[in-house]
Amino acid sequence: MSFKSAVITFPGSNCDRDALTYLKDLTNGEVLNIWHEETSIPAVDLIILPGGFSFGDYLRSGAMASKSNIIPEIIKHSESGKFLLGICNGFQILTEIGLLKGALIQNKNLKFLGKDCFIRKKHENKFNKFIKQDQVLQIPVAHNEGNFYCGEEDLKHLNDNGLIAFEYCKGSFSNSDENINGSINNIAGITNEQKNILGMMPHPERAYQSFHGSKDGKIIIESLLS
Amino acid sequence: MNDELILQHGLTLNEFQIIKDYLKRDLTMEELGIFSAMWNEHCCYKTSKKWLKKLPTNNDVVIQGPGENAGIIDLEDNDGVAFKIESHNHPSYIEPFNGSATGVGGILRDIFTMGARPIATLDSIRFGEINTDKTKYLLNGVVHGIGHYGNCIGIPNIGGESEFDSTYDFNNLVNAMAIGHVKKDAIFYSKPKTIGGLIVYIGSKTGKDGIHGASMASDVFSENDEDDKRPSVQVGDPFMEKLLMEGCLELMSSGLIESMQDMGAAGITSSSVEMASKGNVGVLIDLDKIPLRQPLSPYEILLSESQERMLAVIEKDNDTKVREILKKWQIDYEVIGEITDSKNVVFTSKNKQVVNLPVNIIVDDAPEYDREFYLPRKRNKKDFDCTHLNLEKMINNLLDNLNYLDKSWIYNQYDSTVMGDTVKEPGQSTGIIKLHDSQKVIGATTDCNPLYIRINPELGMIYTVVEAYRNLISSNIKPIAITNNLNFASPLDPNIMGEIVLSINGLKKSASKLNTPIVSGNVSLYNQTNDLPINPTPVIGMVGSNLNINKIISNKFQNDGDIIVSIGESLGYLNSPYFLKDQKITKEINTFNELEDIDLENEILTANSIMYLADNKMIQSCNDVFRGGIFMSLIKMIEKDYGFTVDLPNKFDLFCEYRAGYIITVKEDELSKVCNYLSKNNVSHSNIGLVSNETIKINSKVFDYFEIKGKYLDNFEKIIN
Repeated sequence: MSFKSAVITFPGSNCDRDALTYLKDLTNGEVLNIWHEETSIPAVDLIILPGGFSFGDYLRSGAMASKSNIIPEIIKHSESGKFLLGICNGFQILTEIGLLKGALIQNKNLKFLGKDCFIRKKHENKFNKFIKQDQVLQIPVAHNEGNFYCGEEDLKHLNDNGLIAFEYCKGSFSNSDENINGSINNIAGITNEQKNILGMMPHPERAYQSFHGSKDGKIIIESLLS
Repeated sequence: MNDELILQHGLTLNEFQIIKDYLKRDLTMEELGIFSAMWNEHCCYKTSKKWLKKLPTNNDVVIQGPGENAGIIDLEDNDGVAFKIESHNHPSYIEPFNGSATGVGGILRDIFTMGARPIATLDSIRFGEINTDKTKYLLNGVVHGIGHYGNCIGIPNIGGESEFDSTYDFNNLVNAMAIGHVKKDAIFYSKPKTIGGLIVYIGSKTGKDGIHGASMASDVFSENDEDDKRPSVQVGDPFMEKLLMEGCLELMSSGLIESMQDMGAAGITSSSVEMASKGNVGVLIDLDKIPLRQPLSPYEILLSESQERMLAVIEKDNDTKVREILKKWQIDYEVIGEITDSKNVVFTSKNKQVVNLPVNIIVDDAPEYDREFYLPRKRNKKDFDCTHLNLEKMINNLLDNLNYLDKSWIYNQYDSTVMGDTVKEPGQSTGIIKLHDSQKVIGATTDCNPLYIRINPELGMIYTVVEAYRNLISSNIKPIAITNNLNFASPLDPNIMGEIVLSINGLKKSASKLNTPIVSGNVSLYNQTNDLPINPTPVIGMVGSNLNINKIISNKFQNDGDIIVSIGESLGYLNSPYFLKDQKITKEINTFNELEDIDLENEILTANSIMYLADNKMIQSCNDVFRGGIFMSLIKMIEKDYGFTVDLPNKFDLFCEYRAGYIITVKEDELSKVCNYLSKNNVSHSNIGLVSNETIKINSKVFDYFEIKGKYLDNFEKIIN
């Protein structure tokens, strides 16, 4: 059966086309683009909440989008056990909805950060299962609020239940920094307890074609397809 | 009207008299405002027009030259590329964050107004000496503003340049360039087609911001001016621009729009006047219909430069459909007038005409000046003693100088990879972006060498064009066309006027020879505070392409052990102005030697050879040699933990500027083939060393690899903090 997926577009989303292209190129299945005002989503295997500045980051990143018409449908989709992936602003929206723990606050140096970063998997789940335990992925980040923060209790919960999908790490060459944005425990991506919802700050959809300089972003979709 | 009022509006008394003689009546305040906005340098090029007319603007790949919102070139099949550069110098000095942000917003609107989807931006920014808090504040604010706007709207920044020099202490420069992809059969122009067509207003509400922005931008600053002028800086909202862009592109692709014009400098005044002028028609606009943020007088509405606004013409029947699409994007939309056959621009308010002017007097009769200019003096040949300079000293002089250091502190604040089509990010000699759903790539660069131009405006300009040309060639991008942003001080000074005239002449000569016509541009004059002029800074943005992404070559070392070949000939240190200045030998402009003549034939021949070698996969990487010489070129090629071992008979040649200078790296077993090819084509070259891991070794002297690399990568941030 072919893999079906969808990308939600909010006003101000700017990685929606990138996510659509990523899914089309890698899943060989049908890919839908859904406007945030819709109130139903056809049955799909994966929904991506893309990066960008939904509603211009008014109030807080992701806060306005978390109240969109489409959100109850997204919650329903995730409750059925299907996959939900929030990238960058999508991750921020997932924490605002409350589907994922913690919050993404301003980067430690208070500046936007756009560059390649290095991540590795910490706890295994369906999204990262093809990644080897010591494998380092090179994937770009582009965010102003990517500094993951949560309370001690939540952090313990994430660790104890194996919910930390990705952490930032050093690259294989000199001059690479581990804690690029101030995230607690270098966290770059987390899942929910059922591990069918992943939020991550790095952009795998910008690292999968040969001209991208790294194809490491491919492995997430490959893992999901297996 | 009293003289003071006229002068306050930036018009000369003579210009005012011309208008009165033509109209044979007094002007309304609103009409005076219109002339103030339309007859300043920013809008009508009154000082530069005579010279700009001489530029080559056309060849068989130019679809649209200067005169529209952006120039467009043909990239075969149905692909066109629209691009333009524009300055936001004065606003960015007064309010760096908003001034630079709205510069990006404005140039993006110029692109999507033509039906093109913006796919990349570049920025050329210049500041004074970094040792003052003021410069640090400006740098932080400008970079933050550029980043904020571009990141939010989601257009990748793929390159640019920055320079620090004391002549910009009180006049920083912010030039923003944007590139868009357009289908050739879906280009939109500002010319309306139908008499009776509805003029519609799309976008943000109009407020008080930016009133008289364009005339401010054509004025000389005096000290303590900043606080007074701050209210005329516009405030940008990239989220609104994103909605506006998507809304407009959807309207255009639905075939609901006849023509479009963005409300940039001088807002609704210039956009409606341009529209009428292009179509040789009249416009009738009811100012009471304009969506307002706050109560405004007709005068203020006419001159407001509120951002994120568009003017479009639609057929009457399409009103409902247009309204629906814009409602989805939550954008204000209002029918405000219609196209008439009167050839007059008429604005009404409260059922009264407040403006009724023939279009041709505003546009065609705009003043054009032939200002007096002086030619630079002949230079005496001078010798300089450089014997005290050893390798360490020369290296440190470069790595302690902001202008040579890695600028990732700047470009890491920009999103360079959004849209997923970025091939080369900032920090390399060419920014490269792929056309979506295609194998074609576009390369772009911005350049200017103000010191060269100060020494010899004509030749210096040719060097600037050649540097941009080499930047593109070093990635195997074929240069196609140019956009220019001519930043100068006051043209009322005949010396400055001489710089303007001669550098335009240099641009003409080089662009003609290299077959890279000028398709769009912008002029920014009066960049001086009191008597302190900026260095002449005619920035160019050069755009080129390669139709096959697989033929691109890297600007970074690829393999340990590859042979490093230097191409071109050293100008020698006596003829390398940046060498003399940056090695602290001299800085007085009068003391520099005359620039060496530049052989454009030789540049073309060398470029063609490099493109041939790249097409045939005979070189591993390439970089051009310019300011900072071979040494800086090699440092910039460092990637991962690769370094270099090189030997040059004359140590100064490592740091001098070059004729047709490039570095290429070649696999050892291909070296003889490459050298034979270069010799056969009379391209001067020499094997100077090899790529070597974790090593920097020059003329047998070993340097600490990690120390040098660390300085190059980290010193910028250390110096500015």
